[in-house]
Amino acid sequence: LTMDDSNKKYYNRETSIPFSSDGDVIKEAKILSLGKADDVNNEPLYKGRLPEGSKLLAIGTVMGDFDIPALKAQEPNVIFVSSCTREVLLQLLDAFPTIEWVHSRSTGIDHIQSKGLAAAEHVVVTNSKGCFSSTLAEYTLMACAYFAKDLPRLMRQKQHKDWNKYEVLELRGATLGVVGYGDIGRAASKLAKAYGMKVIALRRNPSLSKGCSICDKVYGADQLNTLMSESDYILVAAPLTDITRGLIDADAIAHAKKDAVLINVGRGPIIDEDAMIDALNNGKLKGAGLDVTTLEPLPTESPLWELDNVLLSPHNMDVTATFLRESTEFFVKENLERFVRGVTLLNLVDKVAGY
Amino acid sequence: LKVVSRPSPINPIVRSFHSSSLRAATNTVTTPHADPQLKNYKFWNREESTPGQFSYLLDISPESIRKEARIISLSAPDDDANHALHEGVLPMGCHLLGTGSTLQDFDELRNSNQQPNVVFVSPSCPKARVQLPLVLAAFPSIEWIHCRSAGIDFLVSDALAAYKHLPCTNAKGQFSSSLAEYTMMACSYFAKDLPRLMQQKKGKKWEKYEVEELRGKTMGIVGYGDIGRACAKIASVYGMKIIALRRNPSMSEVDPLCDVVYGTGKSSLNKLMSESDFIVCSAPSTVETRGMVNADAFKVVKQNAVFINLGRGPVVDEESLVEALRAGRLRGAALDVFIEEPLPPESEFWDLENVLISPHNMDQTGSFMHEATEFFVNENLPRFVCGEDLLNPVDVEIGY
Repeated sequence: LTMDDSNKKYYNRETSIPFSSDGDVIKEAKILSLGKADDVNNEPLYKGRLPEGSKLLAIGTVMGDFDIPALKAQEPNVIFVSSCTREVLLQLLDAFPTIEWVHSRSTGIDHIQSKGLAAAEHVVVTNSKGCFSSTLAEYTLMACAYFAKDLPRLMRQKQHKDWNKYEVLELRGATLGVVGYGDIGRAASKLAKAYGMKVIALRRNPSLSKGCSICDKVYGADQLNTLMSESDYILVAAPLTDITRGLIDADAIAHAKKDAVLINVGRGPIIDEDAMIDALNNGKLKGAGLDVTTLEPLPTESPLWELDNVLLSPHNMDVTATFLRESTEFFVKENLERFVRGVTLLNLVDKVAGY
Repeated sequence: LKVVSRPSPINPIVRSFHSSSLRAATNTVTTPHADPQLKNYKFWNREESTPGQFSYLLDISPESIRKEARIISLSAPDDDANHALHEGVLPMGCHLLGTGSTLQDFDELRNSNQQPNVVFVSPSCPKARVQLPLVLAAFPSIEWIHCRSAGIDFLVSDALAAYKHLPCTNAKGQFSSSLAEYTMMACSYFAKDLPRLMQQKKGKKWEKYEVEELRGKTMGIVGYGDIGRACAKIASVYGMKIIALRRNPSMSEVDPLCDVVYGTGKSSLNKLMSESDFIVCSAPSTVETRGMVNADAFKVVKQNAVFINLGRGPVVDEESLVEALRAGRLRGAALDVFIEEPLPPESEFWDLENVLISPHNMDQTGSFMHEATEFFVNENLPRFVCGEDLLNPVDVEIGY
C-alpha cells in the first residue's frame, strides 16, 4: 500500500501476518504491568502463556504498589502500560534503569508522553497502532452517510409519521480529505475507495505515501488549507502532538467548502473547538461527527450537545467487546515474541514527535 | 433485433475482462461485467460500464445507422427528469414523435405516415399499466419498449404479457450504488447503535458503551442482482461474508464477491435467514417473489439479525416482519419500501422503535431519474439504430 516498509514496521489487524515463533529465544522479558490487577482485558498477559523464561513480575498503578528493592534485584526490562500517569511512568523508569522497552496498550501516547520519556535514550516505546483502525473506518463512513442521506431528517419524519420524499446525496464521487494519513486514515480510505469516493491524504512525510493505491493525492502539512477547500468530508485521524494541537483552526475551517462535514476520530484538541462550534452555528460547516472532544467526558455546558448538526459519540467508536483484550494479545503474541528473539519490535514510536 | 430474454450462465472468460477505469477506482476485487464481444452478459452498471461505446459510431460514420428510432414517450408531460429525451439533442437517426400519458394524447399520430417504433415509459405516467398495452395495440409498428425505472412491476399485466415477443429494457444498474451506500449505513446504524447515540445526545449523557464491528459479520442478499452485487462490493471491503440468493445460482458461481450462492426455494431462503447477521432484500416484485419472506423465514432468522428491504415492499410479509420485531427475534429493520406507499399513518412500522423508515427515496439523488433517461438516450438508442444488442433486457412475463 505504501512506498515505505510500513507493513514490516507497523501492525495492522486486518493485513498483518501473525508472527511465527520459530527463531531462538535469546533473552528473557521481565515485565512490570502499569495497570489494574483486575483489568480482565490484560488477561492475555496476566494469565496467558508467555515466551519461555519471561515473567510478569508485578502489577500496579502507583509507585506504592511496587516493592522497589525486591524488584530491582530481578532487573525488569519491560513495562506494559494500560493505565497510568506520565509521572508514575517516569518514576518507574528512574527506579529501574534496566527498563529497555515501554509498550502502550492504547495507540495514543499523548497521556504518557513527556520530555523525560523522550530523553530516556535507552528506552524504546511501542504502541497498539493498527489494532483499532477498521472499527474507526466503519464509523467514519457511517458519519459520512449520516449527513449524505440526512439521517436526522429520517428520524424526525418518523417521529411525525411524515412520508416526505427528499433527495439524498451520494458518497460516490465525493472527496474524503484525511488529515493524518496513518493506519486509521488508510483503513478509512480503503472503505472510501470502495464507495467510489476520491481520497486526499495529508501527512508529515508525503513521500511515504507516494504510489499509494488508495489515495488520489498526497499533501504535506503546509497544504492543509488546500485539502480543506477540496474536501466534502474531512477526517481528522492524526495523533495529538505539539504540531497537531489546534491544527484545524479558524483559518483552516474558513477554507472548508460550505457543505463540508468534519469528522474527528483522533484527539479533540487537534481541532479548535470554539472555531468549529462557530462554523457549525453559522452554516460555514454542514455538520460534524465527533468521537473525541477536547474535554472528555464532554461537560454538559458544551454547546456541542445542542447543535443539531453534530453527531456525538463518547469516544467509544472503537470500543468493541474485545478491542482492549486484542491489544494486549498483540503485545503478548507479536511484540513480546519479537523482543525475546531480538527481532525489531512493531509499532515503534518516535518519542520526540510523539507518535 | 436480437435480445436475450433469459441470460445464459456467465462464461468464465468474462472474469479476465476488466476495464482500466475500474482498476483505478478500487484496489479491491472487481466484479465481472459485460463484454460486448461476448454478448452473453448484457447489463449496465453505472459505475463499471463504459459509457458512450456506440455513440462514436453515429458521430463518425452515419452509415452505421441501420434504422431510425421514432419514439413516443409515455410519461407525465411535466416530468422534467425526461429532459434529455423531451428537450435534449438525440443521437442521429432518432426522433421524438410525441409525449403523452394516455393513448388519446397520441391521436394525431394514428394516421400519420411517421409511425413510432419505440415507446419510452416512465413511472410518472399515471395508469401506465392500462395505457401501455393500449398504446402497443394502437401502434403495431412499435418494436421496443424501454422502461425508465428499474422496477417494471408497475407495468406488468396479462395484457402486457401478450407482447412478450417485443424486447423490453429497463434501468437496471442505474441506482445500485446509492442503494448500496444506504445498505451499509443501515448496517452501521444498528452495529454502532446510532439510536442510542442520538438519545444520549438529547439527554446530554456521556456514557461509553460497546459497539459492534461489521467486519466478520455475514450479509445475506435475497435477490442477488445489480443492487445485491453493489452491496456485496462494498460489504466485502468491510470484511463481511456474503451469502447470495438468486434464481440462477450458477450465474454467480464465478463471482468473487460471494462466499456462498444459494438458489431459490424455501430451504435456501431459510438457510440464508439462519446464517445472516444482516439480511438485504433486493429482489424485484414478481409472481414468484411476492410474500416470499414470510412467517416461516422470520421464524428461523438468526437471533438479533437486522432486516433491510430496499427492493419492493410486497416481497415481504409485513405482518410477520412486525411480529418478529415485536418478539425481539430481529434486532431491527431498515425499510425503504413498503407494500403501500406512502406508508399510511396507521401502519405499525411508524411506532416500532427499532425500525428505520425512509420514504422510498434512498436512491433519489437530484439527478437519478435524469440519468436514467440519459442512459436510454446515450446508451440504448444508439445501440438500437446501429442494430446492436440492447442493454438491460427484461422479461415482462417473469417480471424482471
